[in-house]
Amino acid sequence: MNTESRKKALRYFFEKVVTPMGFKFTPDADLVDFLLEQEVILETKHGIPFCPCQPLRHDRARDMKIVCPCIPFHREHFDLIKRCWCGLFVHQDVTDPDSLPQLSPHEVGLE
Amino acid sequence: MKKVNMYALSTCPWCRKTKKFFTDHNVPFSYIDYDLADEGTQAKISAELDAAGATGFPFVTIGDETISGYQPERYSRALGI
Amino acid sequence: MNKKFVQAIRADEVAPGGMRAVELEGREIVVCNWSGKYFAIQRRCGHMNAPLDMGTLDGKFVTCAMHCAQFDVTTGEALSGPVSEDFGGESPPPKITEYLEHIVMQMKHVRMESISTYDTKAEAGWVLVAL
Repeated sequence: MNTESRKKALRYFFEKVVTPMGFKFTPDADLVDFLLEQEVILETKHGIPFCPCQPLRHDRARDMKIVCPCIPFHREHFDLIKRCWCGLFVHQDVTDPDSLPQLSPHEVGLE
Repeated sequence: MKKVNMYALSTCPWCRKTKKFFTDHNVPFSYIDYDLADEGTQAKISAELDAAGATGFPFVTIGDETISGYQPERYSRALGI
Repeated sequence: MNKKFVQAIRADEVAPGGMRAVELEGREIVVCNWSGKYFAIQRRCGHMNAPLDMGTLDGKFVTCAMHCAQFDVTTGEALSGPVSEDFGGESPPPKITEYLEHIVMQMKHVRMESISTYDTKAEAGWVLVAL
């Protein structure tokens, strides 16, 4: 299957999901391209586009929480850091994604 | 210099940036790519992440300090560089 | 062999976002409406021949109901394979385990194929498909 076609399809589906949650694709186009490419690789291997930056625990309940877009399962955390973990999505008002550090939940007062 | 170890994913761009940070600063480090490791190693790493409250990669240990996420300023501070 | 356009379905019977299966000269075809433009694809999923009209059409992407294989209806291109029935580490109830193992084993040998498409045109309230 063609990677570029699949990346375009994922873009289409993801956009519809993240927009009502107040997120958008990061303005860093190279990062989007790289991450989507990794997700296609993961989807080809596992049948599901998992987050390229979080571990698969081989426990279905946990692994479902890192299916992209995983924002709903980490809503509080991601709303505080204004990005998702891998940075594919950022808050809609973000214009400078490089300024958003990759902070873990307890670093922003969670858990 | 403090011992530096990291857990990474071969699919994660921030992990690549982290590896590059250490290389660029001539900091010796060891790493394991979680997704390329065997089941036993993955279980061990998974438990370590849980214990530290970390949800994703990169996961860096500098001496006794654990840092989750790509945070070059914290690496510099921990290493004293 | 020259293609001829035949009447497939009334245009107003396939609303935007909708799909309808028709049989034309023995061939099962699904007419899809993507925002007012019509596309026609073979009915059989390129994976295991499930009827695609029973799936979902989102934009120009059809997702098969059986195993979630996805295709672009404008080109027929297969975009993603089916989602496996692997239980991700959980054990299914013992009675169906053997059956599922057998199915999963078979499914591993099934190839993804891209699906055929047919030219369409809208004329006088009808959607025509070239066969």
